[in-house]
Amino acid sequence: MTTIDPKEAAQALNDIEQIVQRVRQSRIYDIASQIMIAAGVLVVAGNVANFLAPRYSAYIWLTVNVLNVAVAAALITMGARQTGVRFDFRALAAFLLFYAFGILCCGVFGHYGPRELGAFWPIYFMLFYCIAGLWFGRAFVIIGLGIIMLTLIGYFFVEGAAFLLWMAAANGGGLILSGLWMRRI
Amino acid sequence: MAELDDIIHQPLRLRIMAALNALPPGEGLEFSRLKKMTGATDGNLGAHIETLAKAGYVGIEKAFVGKKPQTTVTATSAGRGAFARHVASLQQIIAASGGNG
Repeated sequence: MTTIDPKEAAQALNDIEQIVQRVRQSRIYDIASQIMIAAGVLVVAGNVANFLAPRYSAYIWLTVNVLNVAVAAALITMGARQTGVRFDFRALAAFLLFYAFGILCCGVFGHYGPRELGAFWPIYFMLFYCIAGLWFGRAFVIIGLGIIMLTLIGYFFVEGAAFLLWMAAANGGGLILSGLWMRRI
Repeated sequence: MAELDDIIHQPLRLRIMAALNALPPGEGLEFSRLKKMTGATDGNLGAHIETLAKAGYVGIEKAFVGKKPQTTVTATSAGRGAFARHVASLQQIIAASGGNG
């Protein structure tokens, strides 16, 4: 029969804890990658649609955002058994508060134009990726900061309506690529 | 007295069982994923999975995804039970020492 001292036992339990954390993080990355790819496709579609039909911009982004929340809710709910993360009332409230504060900033305090709106929402979204990353894994921080940087480059250097196409590639494409990358780590 | 499971006790096998046990029952991990999580090499991981399978602690499923062979390893209920007892024994050893591990 194997016998070990308390120090070795503590080390073994510590090893187990680390592996469990790694598995949990990997499951969270799995679900998050699916959410990112779906969000990326929606963002590409939203920016291209906005480029082609700027008059319908408000309807386009309302649709994109509602679909984004619905898809995220569905994927989180389907993956809840694996990740332990649930889309419950608190998650819905978090989304509502997120959008309410965003609307307050850009519609009430700021009166942003289309270009500012196009930069504000992705940066605001990615800020939450960065914050979430502090708990759920540094990949979220890297992705968040990367997309914020690309958004700022577009905002300052890409002129006119081409900014929408830049955002389709930088934000939408960035999310899709990030989701694919997250699957591999 | 705490009885440790000789098969699970080996460090890499402990990591394999910990990873599989962290999944919902019936779900498994693909070989390359398990390799990444445990930090093992191909040959080493394969040999230890074989040992666990012989003890009835894990099930191995081989399938083709497209043209690529894919091996999925799943903890059996016997494996989950043995792992839980092993963890309880480790905790018992620490408790018996007054928690000064």
